[in-house]
Amino acid sequence: MRLRPRLRGLRARLVAASALVAMLSVGAAVWAAAASASRSLVDSYERQVVRSTVDQVSAVAPTLTYPPDQESLDRAAGAVGPDAVVTFRDRRSAAEARTALVTDALRGAVRTGDGVVTQRVRVPEGAWLVVGVPVLATAPDGSARPSGVEVFVVQDLAEVQDQLDRMTRTVVATTAVTLPVAVLLALAAAGTVLRPVRRLRDTATRIAAGDLQARSEPRGADELADLTRTVNGMADAVQDSVTRLQRLQTDARRFAADVSHELRTPLSTLSAVVEVLDDAVDDLDEDARESARLAVAETARLVRLVEDLMEVARFDAGTARLQLDRLDVVEAVRRTLHARGWLGEVDLRVPAPDAQVWAVLDGRRLDVIVANLVGNALTHGARPVLVEVRSEADDVVVVVRDSGPGLSADALEHAFDRFSKGDPARSRGDGTGARPTPGSGLGLSLAWESAVLHGGVLTGDNDPEAGARFTLRLPRAGAGS
Amino acid sequence: MSGVRAAAVLGALLLAGCSIPSTGVTGAGQAPTGVAPGPTLYFLDDDGDLQPRVRETGSLGTVADAVQLLLVGPGGSGSRTGIAETSVTRVVVTTSPERVTLRVPLAPTDVTAAGVDQIVCTAWASHVQHGGSPRATVVIDFTIPTARSARPRTCPLAPEP
Repeated sequence: MRLRPRLRGLRARLVAASALVAMLSVGAAVWAAAASASRSLVDSYERQVVRSTVDQVSAVAPTLTYPPDQESLDRAAGAVGPDAVVTFRDRRSAAEARTALVTDALRGAVRTGDGVVTQRVRVPEGAWLVVGVPVLATAPDGSARPSGVEVFVVQDLAEVQDQLDRMTRTVVATTAVTLPVAVLLALAAAGTVLRPVRRLRDTATRIAAGDLQARSEPRGADELADLTRTVNGMADAVQDSVTRLQRLQTDARRFAADVSHELRTPLSTLSAVVEVLDDAVDDLDEDARESARLAVAETARLVRLVEDLMEVARFDAGTARLQLDRLDVVEAVRRTLHARGWLGEVDLRVPAPDAQVWAVLDGRRLDVIVANLVGNALTHGARPVLVEVRSEADDVVVVVRDSGPGLSADALEHAFDRFSKGDPARSRGDGTGARPTPGSGLGLSLAWESAVLHGGVLTGDNDPEAGARFTLRLPRAGAGS
Repeated sequence: MSGVRAAAVLGALLLAGCSIPSTGVTGAGQAPTGVAPGPTLYFLDDDGDLQPRVRETGSLGTVADAVQLLLVGPGGSGSRTGIAETSVTRVVVTTSPERVTLRVPLAPTDVTAAGVDQIVCTAWASHVQHGGSPRATVVIDFTIPTARSARPRTCPLAPEP
């Protein structure tokens, strides 16, 4: 049973099958040869014994007094051989022989007197050959009848058996010698099959690891060479697709980066102009004032969108760098809320009234993340909005929770995708008065990437007791430490 | 596992194939012959016809024994013989399956035609009783051979071929 798992290998299976086939063919061939040789050996020995017995009996018969007395039976038996018994009716020669091995069938066949009969008898001590010879009496006219004189010869076949045993040992030894040779040949054959397979596996591993140039050299014209060519073709196709996709992606990113960069200068000018307009808004009439306010708000939104796009471009290009500072997160969050005028609108919960949570972070990016999360909660969720800052082991955790209906499963799944517009079911502002500026759709995505850049995580879920909940978890010791 | 079992079966087959098995009773050729109470000698009756007579010596003996007994004569049995009396009865016999050659211590003139038949029939009968062919011929080498004396002869009482 221990053999089972090891036989699963291709090499083990090939070797085992080859060795088995070799042993079976050698065994079958040798067995057939040995059986045939054994038959002819025994047959030849038997013919020799019969001929010699008949010759002896023929020579002694004319000298035999007839009907024979005890003395001539003994003499006849002595003349035929030490293993012979001569009988006439109830009388038999005195010399010891293994007459117990003479079967009734053989005795009957001799009694009918048709000819010489033989029989091989196997007993636990070994095999014996029994020859029964009826002696005929022939009249001058040529008619022959059984004379009643019968000769039995019981010959030990041990000598023949010894020869056969030697032959069998040779056969077994030959088969045993064949086995290691067969195993060696099978190992060599398995090597020729498995080497290309191993090369192919190495190539596939390299391709999977990202080396799209990796190929195997097909050798020969067998099925493995076909397989190698097929794998190479597949690798070519994969490389083409990946290269094309990479180029498309690079082009798209460069386009976004270029566009945002190009928009920045005109936008700066526009911002300056709009500020002037903002200052002068009180001097305008009602309609014009409304339009001016709208222009100011949309321009601000446009500036933020372009900044977000440039941040996205930095992340994509891998050029985003952290400006790490040691700062008090409670103070930082409070400043963020204060700067946007949200201190009165959210419930800020800290470990203690004068608690400080120190961490090494990029202050600007923390401000962006928190502002985005709280802004989303205020805009799309329902009040009261809770902001909690706490310290956990090596992390600092900022939780932003609203009291709205929460996010649908679909919205949760795509919450951090770019240009994700959130859940339409969630409210978009209060609809009256100061119109909220709709987000760019990039905010949560950028927050998530910032968190990852810090070595932390940003997760979104639904609080079972209230609405949507976003949890920002950043390492206090700074990114990468 | 199956390989081990197959090897074991193969080995058992090999060993079984190489041991001598028991067999039934099989024929192995012709039975030998040659027992008789004595040789058959051929003498002549009162009409001069050949007459077989078993001389009870106890065993068949050789062809030479039979011919020598014939040369000794019929004794007091009342039969006649066509062979002259001789003090030397030594006979040399050469046998092949189809021919018996006799070297007799007689000249052709010592034997009548019937006497020649006596010698031929006695040698032939002994040859047949030894298991020889009934169609075997007999050649007599006389001490003084003539042109026709050494031809192959057959016993007139032999069955027609």
